Amino acid sequence: MIKIVKRDQPSKAIFFFTPVLAIFLTLIAGGIIFYILGFKPFEALKFFFIVPIADKYGFSELLLKATPLCLIAIGLSFCFKSNNWNIGAEGQLTFGAIVSGGVALLFYDQEGFYILPIVILAGAIGGMIYASIPAILKTYFNTNEILVSLMLVYVSKLILDYLVVGPWSNPEGFNFPETRQFSDSARLPLLFEGLRIHAGIFLALAAVIISWFVFYKTYLGFQMKVSGFSLKTAKYAGYKGKKMIILVFLISGGCAGLAGVGEITGPIGQLHREVSPDYGFTAIIVAFLGRLHPVGIIFASLVVAITYLGAETAQIFMQIPKYTGQVFQGMILFFLLASDYLLFFKFKFIGTKK
Amino acid sequence: MNTNLKISNVTKIYPGCVANDDVSLEFNSGKIYALLGENGAGKSTLVKILSGVVIPDEGKIYLNKNILKLNSPSDAKKNDIGMVFQHFNLFETLSVFENLIIDSDEQRENLKEKIDTIMKKYNFSVDLDVPVLNLSAGQKQKVEIIRCLIRSPKVLIMDEPTSVLTEQETSELFLSLKKFSEEGILIIYITHKLKEVMQLCDEVAVMRRGKLVSVSQINNENIESLANKMVGQDLKTIKKKKENTSSEQLIKITNLNFTSEDPFETNLVDINFSLNRGECLGIAGISGNGQSELFQVLSGEIISNKNSIEFNKNFIGDLNPQERREYLMAFSPEDRLEQAAIPQMAIFENVALNNFKSSNFFNNGLINESKIKEHSKKIISEFNVNTNNIDLKSQFLSGGNLQKLIIGRELITSPDLLICFNPTWGLDVGAINYIHETLIKINEQNKSIILISTDTDELLKLSDKISVIHRGKLSKIMNAEDVTSEKLGILMGGGN
Repeated sequence: MIKIVKRDQPSKAIFFFTPVLAIFLTLIAGGIIFYILGFKPFEALKFFFIVPIADKYGFSELLLKATPLCLIAIGLSFCFKSNNWNIGAEGQLTFGAIVSGGVALLFYDQEGFYILPIVILAGAIGGMIYASIPAILKTYFNTNEILVSLMLVYVSKLILDYLVVGPWSNPEGFNFPETRQFSDSARLPLLFEGLRIHAGIFLALAAVIISWFVFYKTYLGFQMKVSGFSLKTAKYAGYKGKKMIILVFLISGGCAGLAGVGEITGPIGQLHREVSPDYGFTAIIVAFLGRLHPVGIIFASLVVAITYLGAETAQIFMQIPKYTGQVFQGMILFFLLASDYLLFFKFKFIGTKK
Repeated sequence: MNTNLKISNVTKIYPGCVANDDVSLEFNSGKIYALLGENGAGKSTLVKILSGVVIPDEGKIYLNKNILKLNSPSDAKKNDIGMVFQHFNLFETLSVFENLIIDSDEQRENLKEKIDTIMKKYNFSVDLDVPVLNLSAGQKQKVEIIRCLIRSPKVLIMDEPTSVLTEQETSELFLSLKKFSEEGILIIYITHKLKEVMQLCDEVAVMRRGKLVSVSQINNENIESLANKMVGQDLKTIKKKKENTSSEQLIKITNLNFTSEDPFETNLVDINFSLNRGECLGIAGISGNGQSELFQVLSGEIISNKNSIEFNKNFIGDLNPQERREYLMAFSPEDRLEQAAIPQMAIFENVALNNFKSSNFFNNGLINESKIKEHSKKIISEFNVNTNNIDLKSQFLSGGNLQKLIIGRELITSPDLLICFNPTWGLDVGAINYIHETLIKINEQNKSIILISTDTDELLKLSDKISVIHRGKLSKIMNAEDVTSEKLGILMGGGN
């Protein structure tokens, strides 16, 4: 007979083991789904997870997709560690893209080394401004940040829509819903000839290092950590809880904004309707799969990035819709949450008593 | 039909405390019984045993001479034991009717009829169709009572039912309870309010520290005698020496008020007191009378009017806890695991929670780990915390060691005033003695203490002056020598 008992304390080994377990279970469930759809499971999984990254181009694409995921997830980890549920990173990304894109458009016919830094900064500020809305509403009016940040995602997408169709649309663009191309000075430099991977990856790596430093080495990080564990303790220690809430939102909004900058000044080079294939939402999964730890998030962003690529290959070679990628992302989160049960409970095998 | 409920030699031991120590009691229907005692006296545990929430380690319960097996709340229901808890177990967004039928398997129509009969019989007026969240506390309680009555219980247990009621609602409740009793329902009424016992009950059982102290007819008791039994007279004779209290004023509280938006918090009304150097002011009271709010106002977690708190000739009412610490105040909150310390963090990280500019824990915004660790080692050795691993997560310290760490953290910076709230709650005797000795020692060093505690023995042992908080108001401040446990008990129960 199997009995479920509560653990005395959450196990550290299990803490790092569950993400691996979740990925493993996702593969099994994915294989079963492919089987039901009439594919050979192993072959399908190979198309999904191995073929896309088998060459240099594929690997570059992997890093290209992992960059925004990692950047956003790092920002989100600040929020999530302190129990602030910002799920509107997609909106903050979009708004960051709008602001930085607007600035880039101002310089569309100019060249100069100063342009790119201004554009990047504008994107970060745009993301921060957008994240400050749920933060301020939460701290001063007790609104629910989940709802506010989520609804603002759709608002930002509509603003973007309006801009690229209306005032910002390319005058020579035959009414396509897109802006002018940015000047080369507003583009993030490519790292290798012929590959799409761009300098934005350094922004992500910098974010990883800075977040690790802030969280583990500074007083600010210490205060955020305490506030996250217990607001009562933070209050007792005399930390400014409200400011801490706004700060973590600003950090995560800034990171999402930077991810937006990376997309439009990297591979896209202009603003159009689809600046992000839901990176802002997927990054939530990345943050949790990476256990909100900077290093974990690097690995998690690579794993999840594969699902984007795999979905595209699967669409081309197996004629299944690319939304399968989202199915896989959903399954990863599902299995992660399910296996987190093991953190607090364990199975105990006991002999059947008469 | 006569109902006889018998508790026989019930013992329940929790780690570090005996909640019920060989308790035997007998109840008969037709009477209203009071179960009286301070917080932590063991009443709640006993009641939880009767309602199947807690399973006793030893002892038996008989209903009409038959042994009752109460392994879960549903067992209690099956055996016609009804229970109304202090905090309501109602679904706020469901209607009254839905709440009433939710745990019943009878037909809806039958139930409707039954509920109507009950309401008519006892003159209850509650609209069945409104959602529960629109009801007053008194009405919610009626819903809970009706829910019990649907099952025609033989025994009805009320756990501190009047704590959320107005005077008017209280007297209505008493009328209903008397009516139930006349109809043969056995009523057990748990409270620490002496007046209510005298008003309502026929027999009273007093508990103290897990033991049954006395069972008597209400006619043979009065408020004073009950207070005495509840608080206990077995006071320790070791009192602190009283010689070096100075007349230099350290802290003065003037017209301090706090109004909370949270209905579960208590408002503080016109708090005034002052304290000299080297003195200990004890604040007694039944928990939930504003102690937690008072602590927060004094510590700066709740900020008040600048001039309402004068400390060391500075007005500090508008400062937060960290700023108050710079003026040499220190705080030890009641909740060790949720407020005073963070169990998931290492010992040395918890030490850094009490941070002074001069302690240099954080230089230019960076964590100075070696400094914090050095400081932590000092606390551990000076305050006898039983560990030598400061990287250990504090959840692995025993309650006593954690409290020593917290008190040590607060005292090692030699503050002028320590404000502590239930510092020995839930600790074993050894740790209690250690904390008490430490508190006496700092008084002898001419430092002051404000001790908010629900443990009257502790207060009488440590305080120079004592006041009682009741419903957010402080009584006048008395010299500890003039205070008897009797007087304290009366004031705590809201008497004069």
